[in-house]
Amino acid sequence: MNERDENLTGHDSLAIIQQMIYAAKQDQKDDGIGWILWGWLLFAASVLTIVNLQYNWYSTFFFWNVFGIIAIGLLLFTIVKALVFKRTKKVRTYTKDVFDKLNIGFTISLLLIIVAMNVYITPSIGFALLTGLYAFWIMIYGALLNFKPSNIAAYFVFALALACMFVPNFKLVMVIHAVAVLIGYIIPGYMANRAFKQISKASFNTTA
Amino acid sequence: MYKELDPILHSQLRLAVMSLLISVKEAEFTFIKEKTNATAGNLSVQVQKLREAGYIDVIKQFKDNYPQTTCKVTPRGIQCFEAYVDALQQYLHIGS
Repeated sequence: MNERDENLTGHDSLAIIQQMIYAAKQDQKDDGIGWILWGWLLFAASVLTIVNLQYNWYSTFFFWNVFGIIAIGLLLFTIVKALVFKRTKKVRTYTKDVFDKLNIGFTISLLLIIVAMNVYITPSIGFALLTGLYAFWIMIYGALLNFKPSNIAAYFVFALALACMFVPNFKLVMVIHAVAVLIGYIIPGYMANRAFKQISKASFNTTA
Repeated sequence: MYKELDPILHSQLRLAVMSLLISVKEAEFTFIKEKTNATAGNLSVQVQKLREAGYIDVIKQFKDNYPQTTCKVTPRGIQCFEAYVDALQQYLHIGS
């Protein structure tokens, strides 16, 4: 970008502003891989629990315990990776800062509900609260990314969380949970991933 | 009556830097250089001008033994950028 101030027209200025804001926003997009991975893990745990309850293979929460071990493993891997390969961020955005806080708050709330499920509340209420927490995360994340499918999905997931509270049958709770995960994480995740790929492709074509 | 366009902002590279910084919380010099396609020397001069005008804060520090320059728009910078966009809208008859 060269200096040619004397020739800068109003339209040039406007084009520069738009181009730079667009360039900055490019780095604030999410590829949806995180939602897809998290979504499939939850979905698999729910579906395997349903099959397990049907055929009585292991204890009721066997697959949830497996899920918990995998989730803790992934969490530890992320923490270690962040500490060992401490990369300096080239840019800090308000959105990214809110994402980080949202994810920390989500993880803590998730752990609190899991502890409560183990000591006091019933699994049906516990999964209803967990589903409500997913909906909250999906709503805020969708709003921050201005991603409409997530905004819509959040309301469906809230409705399913409410439904969970009135279902005494745990197998049905797992079905509702699996549907909530599919609507809230997996489908919007793939849509976000597709949109991200299209943006990246368009950006590559522009710069090439 | 048209408002006068701020001469500090009415420059291709300085406007690009401000537009970039207005969209983020803070950015490293290398990030700005990459996005604006400017040369390090030219960018350095323009960043200095914006800093002297009080539009941005420039933080120079060492991170992992490497020098790091971070830029951040100031409240005055935001105010002046908004005024510049208002004036530009008047010229182009947008949104009025």
